[in-house]
Amino acid sequence: MKELTVTVVGNEEIAPGIFEIDFQLPEDIFFRCGQFVNLSVGDGLHLLRRPFAVLFYDKNTRTAGVCYQVKGEGTKLLSQRKEGDKLTCVIPLGNGFILKEEEKRVALIGGGVGVFPLLSVLGEYKDSDKHFRSYMGFRSAAYVNTFGMYDKRSDALFVATDDGSFGKKGTSVSLFFEDFEQAKPDVIFACGPTPMLRALKAGLSERGIGVPCYVSLEERMGCGIGACLVCVCHKTGGEANVRVCKDGPVFEIGEVEI
Amino acid sequence: MANLHTKICGVEFKNPVIAASGTFGFGKEFNEIFDISVLGGISTKGLTLEPRLGNPTPRIAEGRGVILNAVGLQNPGVDKFLEEDLDFLKSKNIVIIANVAGKTLEDYAGICARLDGLVDMIELNISCPNVKCGGMAFGIRPESVEQVTHAAKSALKKTPLIVKLSPNVESIAANALAAQKGGADCVSLINTLTGMAIDIERRRPIIANNTGGVSGAGVKPVAVRMTYEVCSAVSIPVIGMGGITCAEDALEFIIAGASAVQVGTANFTDTLAMPKIIAGLNAWLDAHGVADINELRGTLQLNG
Repeated sequence: MKELTVTVVGNEEIAPGIFEIDFQLPEDIFFRCGQFVNLSVGDGLHLLRRPFAVLFYDKNTRTAGVCYQVKGEGTKLLSQRKEGDKLTCVIPLGNGFILKEEEKRVALIGGGVGVFPLLSVLGEYKDSDKHFRSYMGFRSAAYVNTFGMYDKRSDALFVATDDGSFGKKGTSVSLFFEDFEQAKPDVIFACGPTPMLRALKAGLSERGIGVPCYVSLEERMGCGIGACLVCVCHKTGGEANVRVCKDGPVFEIGEVEI
Repeated sequence: MANLHTKICGVEFKNPVIAASGTFGFGKEFNEIFDISVLGGISTKGLTLEPRLGNPTPRIAEGRGVILNAVGLQNPGVDKFLEEDLDFLKSKNIVIIANVAGKTLEDYAGICARLDGLVDMIELNISCPNVKCGGMAFGIRPESVEQVTHAAKSALKKTPLIVKLSPNVESIAANALAAQKGGADCVSLINTLTGMAIDIERRRPIIANNTGGVSGAGVKPVAVRMTYEVCSAVSIPVIGMGGITCAEDALEFIIAGASAVQVGTANFTDTLAMPKIIAGLNAWLDAHGVADINELRGTLQLNG
């Protein structure tokens, strides 16, 4: 992880209230899919950086991107940053998604802005012998925009919307369980809102599915590097805490309380 | 290069810039970004005799120029610190200040006895606003400040004692005097100011604990004023903190009378904040022809 000043190369609204900001790094980093960046919003008055999953990192151009939803003052300010603006950050952070050699069939389950950390998995393994089946859930058709990437890189893409305005009416988790027998995944990667992850955990348990499942968690952060103990969650059993920023953000689904 | 070397209670600091408790862990994570041996010292994450899990999340919120936190003294316990972190910090050749908290006088005495002679200084946290039994009860009234200071000091034979003062009190100068009377070798201030941030959509406080400690650039004028008041009241050394972001901020505290400063929230905004402050102090002193930072201490002149 490095403290770097980066230069914005693009910042566009890709769906209602959801932006992709791309920035160039002054030096190369070693990036693994599922890792995140703790990014300043660039005004000096907002002292906390915002942790966002890195969508992609292109070594050749030293360019990285993140997608974010405008939710409060900080993300609103970030959405106003223009090409050429400088932002500071610490990158890369966290453990990321790790695929073992023998894990060939991968299920990606994403909900809402939780689809973005999973895009980096597809990016990293695009020329590999891994096979992906992606299950993505969105609020409505308007939010499905730009997820063509899944289509190109996944063997199969299943999309659900809450209101049925695109794909199936339902959730990414319901899509996954409907397809499970056909997919026979060796491993599951998931990211999304807490109710979605709870439904996934419960569904796996009810069906007695023992496939390894890793989830990327979100929590309000302070330092982002593991020092301040702000972004913790309980380990299963509640006897100890783990730090989302340093021990995660990716955890085995049974390891933590969701 | 000006002299930044500072001595407090017989303890030598290579410079007067210390990482503030709770923002810097035990130094290992920041050391992945820069070599923390450049620092004057570190005040550890608040330690208790037994491990603590701390408060529910969210533990942090933000205002303009400030943050609020309520971590609630999550820590691995003093024994684990001694086993897993002390050697690393010692290898960095910086002043190691163990920040300690407890629920009872016996807790404070016990943890001080456990750490006596093992660290360079002990900082008594009697002002954590975020836990019901975090010592805040001791930190409010001068009588109890004196009492808990005395209990801690009685357990220490070798290690100098710093008492960290709360700003959420009637008179911080009176509490500083009480700490001095109780046997404190030094006082540090300010701990965070109690605050609240509300999510208007949910009509609930953002922080799970409802209230949190306010820190960051926005609290600096309050911290400077209180540092001045305390420096004017006591004869023991004072360590100032609250919103320090750059070298110029640190100099305000030194001019107000502080022997050293601590930097906390700025580490979240820029992980290199402290090395930059140290470099900035050197640059400022050189530019102003000041050979030794100690010449500036307490040189504040009030307006007529």
